[in-house]
Amino acid sequence: MSAPRGIQRAGRAIALLTALACPPISSAHQGAPLAEPEFIPPAPGTYTLHRIMPAPEGRVLGIDGHPQPLSRYTRDQITLLGFIYTTCTDPEGCPLAYRVFDALKEAIAATPSLHGKVRFVTLSFDPARDSPDVMRRYAGSRVAEKDGGLRWYFLTTGSARELMPLVEGFGQDIRITFDRSGARPRRELSHVLKVFLIDRMSDVREIYTSTFLYPRLVLNDIETLLMEDALKQSRAPVKK
Amino acid sequence: MNHKSVFRAIAALAMTCVGFTVAVRADETCNSPYIAKLIKGQEDYVYVWTLGVEGLGDGSDKLVTVDVNPKSKSYGKVLHSVSTGARAEAHHMGFTDDRRRIWAGGLSENRIWVFDIATDPARPKLVRTIGDLGDKSGFLGPHTYYALPGRMFVQALSNTKDKGGVTGMVLYNNEGKHLGSYAMPTEGGGDGYGYDLAVNPKKNVLLTSSFTGYANYMRSLGELIKDGEAMKKFGNTMVLWDLKAIKPTKVLAVPGAPLEIRWSLNPKDNWAITAAALTSKLWLVKQDAKGEWIAKEVGTIGDPSQIPLPVDISITRDGKGLWVNTFMDGKTRYFDLSNPEAPKQTYEKATGKQVNMISQSWDGKRVYITSSLLANWDKGGADNEQFLRGFAWNGKELAQKFEVDFTKEKLGRAHHMKLGSKALRSAAAGG
Repeated sequence: MSAPRGIQRAGRAIALLTALACPPISSAHQGAPLAEPEFIPPAPGTYTLHRIMPAPEGRVLGIDGHPQPLSRYTRDQITLLGFIYTTCTDPEGCPLAYRVFDALKEAIAATPSLHGKVRFVTLSFDPARDSPDVMRRYAGSRVAEKDGGLRWYFLTTGSARELMPLVEGFGQDIRITFDRSGARPRRELSHVLKVFLIDRMSDVREIYTSTFLYPRLVLNDIETLLMEDALKQSRAPVKK
Repeated sequence: MNHKSVFRAIAALAMTCVGFTVAVRADETCNSPYIAKLIKGQEDYVYVWTLGVEGLGDGSDKLVTVDVNPKSKSYGKVLHSVSTGARAEAHHMGFTDDRRRIWAGGLSENRIWVFDIATDPARPKLVRTIGDLGDKSGFLGPHTYYALPGRMFVQALSNTKDKGGVTGMVLYNNEGKHLGSYAMPTEGGGDGYGYDLAVNPKKNVLLTSSFTGYANYMRSLGELIKDGEAMKKFGNTMVLWDLKAIKPTKVLAVPGAPLEIRWSLNPKDNWAITAAALTSKLWLVKQDAKGEWIAKEVGTIGDPSQIPLPVDISITRDGKGLWVNTFMDGKTRYFDLSNPEAPKQTYEKATGKQVNMISQSWDGKRVYITSSLLANWDKGGADNEQFLRGFAWNGKELAQKFEVDFTKEKLGRAHHMKLGSKALRSAAAGG
């Protein structure tokens, strides 16, 4: 079965543009310390996280190159998923998400009640460049399971055709821009940073942009989902 | 009773802190901060959400695309219109956060029309109708459409029970699935009324304003102003909410129907400005030295005793200037907002016999104005001009560049505007 023509065209366009535009892989994605929110976030469990939409399904590749359904990485645990491309340098884009994920990983490792309940997924939207091998190098030591038990998966797709339904399904927009700061305009892929909080049933429950992406806020939301689960279990009929 | 006497009557009521009117959210500088694809160069299109007029064309509400790129051969001409097939007091519209769709609604029904503007930005296509707002929430008259990531916040004006002004907000996902409903507060000083909403994510603040209900805004103006009890039923508050939790935190007293809310886009600023329609006052919402949110009257628009009726405002991208349209005198005013505590009018011009919405380009060099307030409140006879007019602004003078006569074109009453661009054609469309 072939993808719709529009998606095929878009896929070809993205493949071409990424090949034209991409500078070398951004290695560390380190930066200035993360800012703290200018407000006191509401306490966990005092607000509702809506079921915004189901996470889309599609085929992805892990760093071992084996295809898997995306749902393999969005069910049964709370998932924090962000799109990146490895050459992204926008400080308000992928690098920010990376630093937030790093900070959260440390926080989760230091919180035994969260161990084994959360996973991270970093999904490339640049399949032309970000092969499983490239993603492996990009991930570095982050894929190792540490004592916090949090797994961080680095995924890509086999082609733009496989990617597009995921991008569309999450509402993760990609656009083409021109960097005119140099002698010659350079085409670049750009995106609005979005990080998706997905519950154990694979429903998207929060979408963070750079204006709301604070580790403290995300942790509160994770706690809120866990409290919701605990409440459901306490209300479930006891099997005899 | 002619319009002048009508509004003089309202002036008296304004002094007793009742309010009325309807205006509009518009332009490139007044979108939700979650809308990423701002048009920072030359826009190609202005989309005009247009009220149908019985006997004019198909008589239905419609989304009209006008070419506004001066380099185009069809500059200043209508390129396309897509009809809803209904006449439902078309009023406001808003982009989804990905700017692929426009949600547009009418105040007389609970239907929301969703248009695809990404596949072919010049020719929007009606792709969905959402009709469950009343059933899900009990609210009526969807007014403001404000994008959150993956979601759309809709502020209603009324309710299905008594069609009064007590109302609330409804949250949908981008596919039109109802997620939650939120009543405007009626305690702690709240009057329960709603009008506009706008957010400041940096401060986790959602700010709302207040107007009136269906029973008032759908009546003929002449009847309404003779009804003293009805004229008491207008909003006099703004409400601060915890944006994350969507819970009200503080009610601010802002008499005279505070309407459009504009947060300064300057990253260093954390204030919003609004215009109270009946009192013709500008109000600033800000934090005081202790961090408490307050509302403060900071300026006057024209001569309040003449009820100029400020119906729309548009803030410049740097937060240093504010356009104000006043319906009754047909004037467009510019205020220097360098000191938002003391806005100073620096320019005014009569831009129509009746003017309502005002939109500006991101660079502030182009200003668009439309004419219609509400079907039953627009002026009559020769004063009932219905148009979109495009102006150039050089910092000193507004110079009209084109006009589309919406009556001559058999389109209807020109109301809310949003800007469009060929460059925003979606990748999936092959662009």
